[in-house]
Amino acid sequence: MRALDRKLLRDLWNVRSQVLAIALVVSSGIALLVMAQGVFGSLLTTRDAYYTRYAFADVFAGAKRVPNWVEQRIAAIPGVGKVQTRVVVAVSLDVPGVSDPINGRLISLPERGRPALNDVALRRGRFLDPDRAEEALVGERFAEAHGLDLGDRLFAVINGRRQPLEIVGVALSPEFVYGIGPGELVPDPKHFGFLWMTRRHLATAFEMEGGFNDVALTLTDRSPSLERAAIVELDAILDPYGGLGAIPRADQTSNWYLQNELSQLETMGLLVPLIFLAVATFLLNVVLRRTVAVQREQIAALKALGYSNVRLGAHYVQWAVVVVALGALIGIVAGLLLAEAMLGVYMEYFRFPLLVYKVSVSGILIAVGVSLAAATVGALGAVRSVVSLPPAEAMRPAPPENFRVSLFERLGARRWLSQPARMVLRNLSRRPVRAVLSIVGIASAGAIMVVGWAMMDSMDELLEVQFNIIQRQDLSVSFFEPVERSAVHELAALPGVMQVEPTGTVAARLRNGHRQKQTAIQALAPGARLRRVVDVDYRAIELDRPGLVLSTLLAEQLQVEPGDEVVVEVMEAARPVREVVLTDTVDDLLGVTAYMEQESLQRLVRRDETMNGAMLRIDSLAEERLYGLLKAMPAVAGVTLRSAALQSIRTYMLDNMSMMMSVNLFFALIIAFGVIYNTARISLSETSRELASLRVIGFTRAEISSILLGELGILTLAAIPLGLLLGYGMITGVMSAFESELFRLPVVVDPSTFVVSAAAVLGSMVISAWTVRRKLHDLDLVAVLKTRE
Amino acid sequence: MPAQALASHPAPVFAMRGVTKVYVMGEVEVHALRGVDLELQEGEFAVLLGPSGSGKSTLLNILGGLDRPTAGQVTYREGDLSEAGERALTRYRRRHVGFVFQFYNLIPSLTARENVALVTEIAGDPIAPEDALALVGLKYRLDHFPSQMSGGEQQRVAIARAIAKRPDVLLCDEPTGALDISTGIAVLGALEKVNSELGTTTAVITHNAAISAMADRVISLADGLITSDVRNSTKQPAVTIEW
Repeated sequence: MRALDRKLLRDLWNVRSQVLAIALVVSSGIALLVMAQGVFGSLLTTRDAYYTRYAFADVFAGAKRVPNWVEQRIAAIPGVGKVQTRVVVAVSLDVPGVSDPINGRLISLPERGRPALNDVALRRGRFLDPDRAEEALVGERFAEAHGLDLGDRLFAVINGRRQPLEIVGVALSPEFVYGIGPGELVPDPKHFGFLWMTRRHLATAFEMEGGFNDVALTLTDRSPSLERAAIVELDAILDPYGGLGAIPRADQTSNWYLQNELSQLETMGLLVPLIFLAVATFLLNVVLRRTVAVQREQIAALKALGYSNVRLGAHYVQWAVVVVALGALIGIVAGLLLAEAMLGVYMEYFRFPLLVYKVSVSGILIAVGVSLAAATVGALGAVRSVVSLPPAEAMRPAPPENFRVSLFERLGARRWLSQPARMVLRNLSRRPVRAVLSIVGIASAGAIMVVGWAMMDSMDELLEVQFNIIQRQDLSVSFFEPVERSAVHELAALPGVMQVEPTGTVAARLRNGHRQKQTAIQALAPGARLRRVVDVDYRAIELDRPGLVLSTLLAEQLQVEPGDEVVVEVMEAARPVREVVLTDTVDDLLGVTAYMEQESLQRLVRRDETMNGAMLRIDSLAEERLYGLLKAMPAVAGVTLRSAALQSIRTYMLDNMSMMMSVNLFFALIIAFGVIYNTARISLSETSRELASLRVIGFTRAEISSILLGELGILTLAAIPLGLLLGYGMITGVMSAFESELFRLPVVVDPSTFVVSAAAVLGSMVISAWTVRRKLHDLDLVAVLKTRE
Repeated sequence: MPAQALASHPAPVFAMRGVTKVYVMGEVEVHALRGVDLELQEGEFAVLLGPSGSGKSTLLNILGGLDRPTAGQVTYREGDLSEAGERALTRYRRRHVGFVFQFYNLIPSLTARENVALVTEIAGDPIAPEDALALVGLKYRLDHFPSQMSGGEQQRVAIARAIAKRPDVLLCDEPTGALDISTGIAVLGALEKVNSELGTTTAVITHNAAISAMADRVISLADGLITSDVRNSTKQPAVTIEW
């Protein structure tokens, strides 16, 4: 080993705790990047392989009942590749031993061969025997949630009749990677399941022989114009058969969630690591500047011995490179482990029959390369000033630092300040850029923490508003067909039912000029108490006027404002088309919806019965018996429990978000500690001589500690409000990035989030201060008097 | 006045009895002091002379409460410095000792006045910083930072800082070591003035024999032992010293 390399290693060893602190910041950035890249790459590759192998469709459409011959017309739409028609029905499921109501989808599989599109991946068991009516495949998560095995039986409640189903296989489908039921935010496999049956038997049970009610197709190419044209034509073909409006793959629920998750991984996986790497570069530069300043005379001596500027420059660049390389190494290993753990969590909620583990090596190399380049630039900046000095000049000690009276003092505060306080202020104001960057560094740690916790706050707020203010029913019942008012009385008469409110939804297309939106209009009875519409301040809005109320997002999409007229094309019954005035907009958190007062909706649809659901408040003591009775009612298509929805969201938050949050918080602490600790060590190094002098002339340890820690304290205290502000700004940005038609997270930051984040930053300071204070105790008072710096 | 003080108060300010100091440097033991007996009297201006390695700095550090002897006893008036703990030594330095160092050890971020105020803020009955600086001839440099002053000026600020708390003893370690002759003389003049006007007991260590001409007493050290202890019959003014 060359002498200079030995010097490098020993120099690094001497400042090992600082080197480690910086390396850990680097490794946090790299780990987050590798993790996000790994999860993103794996999910993306896995998804694409899955979609290709199991022929995930490009366009999806539902209808009431379409004769089979129409399939020819659909296949003839220009640009359409394959077409798959199906029968899909919503049913109640009855699993022996489970009293809770369970909703399900029964999906048809062709009698012979595999489906052309949206094929199922068999996990266990076998495919269906077309001659046996009772056979069914069941979705994997549903089977797991209920402990169902091959040969087990369950029942689909069809028109009040319990149709027994025998499980012969467990399957997955690309349509249900994220297998949520209607209106759900996260999958709840205990209360919602997918099953597949042979088409002939399913059609017979639902009087769908000779027809279909669901169609999927692929397009020959992916151009958006072709997709739009195909959708328009498909809608035109299906309209007479109760078409519910076709959607492209991008809007398909499962795929939308998956895509949303991927986009988040992509942006968060780049943005957050960048913050870490920027902070690490700054720290490297500061520490190297200090190292070079201390080694000024050594550098001069080496130059006098004949080492070139380039060689010496390289020496200090190596210093930075070693630190980054160490960080990168730790980061890559940690990132790969984290990616695996995160994928494990993802695989719980996003189900694939295969997993292609893919880490983008080039992505990691680019990240490491960028960090190395940044470190090199930082190192060169630090070294240049000294390396460029002639040796003779460099061998003399650096002239005393120039100081000025700080701005704060000049503004009049001077006479109130003790000399030590002035030292602190002037030390800070002499390197304002460094002070500001330190503050920004610490603040970014605070901001990351705020974002982490605020996500939880938002979710809590969403749940609170959605499940305590908007939806206050214990359960909701949906019917196969609109029912008469008497059905409400029937429900009210059931034992344990305390309150019933009818609801209804009507599928409709809203139009304003060329802008249109496929949606459902929700009918609300005047004075409804169980399902309400609320304004921005979460106060209930009375729907007592005829007219339409839209989610703000929906109104924006249609570019309409209260007072404007919206064209409503009803997609049920006689499919009337009417102009309706928009009376108000509301900021929905879950989903986008159109609301109308019940009677005006009835007039619009020109039908007496628009009620196809009901909200119930029930006596919890009677719930089991009530569930049984509801399942037996022929008109009931499904029963949804509020508590189950709440529970599944909470579990999801605990599983998924909290892991991501803990990882972020842990790394944020590393940043906070890395910046504060290094700041403390640098100022200790810069002021140790002064502090020792003060000790000699009689200052106590506590007094000199307060000078050093005063500097840290000021930086930290300045960083905390900035961090909170920055965090609030980031969370606002993150939330608007999250905003979608499916949910909108309210920007809510609980005061405790600010308190906890500030406390964590302060805690990092206390730990750093405590570590450095011990070094302060070991100051060599005698040595410092004998040497110039 | 120094002579008077000596006559009327035979009790010494400092008394050292059999003081040894051994530094363990890795595997080598360095005997810096090998059994020193020494007394310093009230108001005395003493020069401790010796080549480097003679133990004079170690002696000064022990007198100043920066270091403790390995063996032997050191008393300051009635207090035992050799037994004092860290806190007691800090208190001792804070109340009784003024230090002047070879490299000044000023705080670069504080002006001349503020460097002195650093001490007067924690002292019981201090001289005003402006007066202390006037005493060393720097009343026109009050608001200059160290980087704006010459070495001699910086050293005189250091002296002003040392005496502003009215210390009982002023300990100077090679105060002219980093200075050229003319600025060195100005610094010695300041020390002389402090000693005569304030009556502060002063110990100056140096390897520069010329300085001994201005002392009441010259103590020579070599190899950890006192080799001679001479009282000057006449003190020469600092301005007449040459080297």
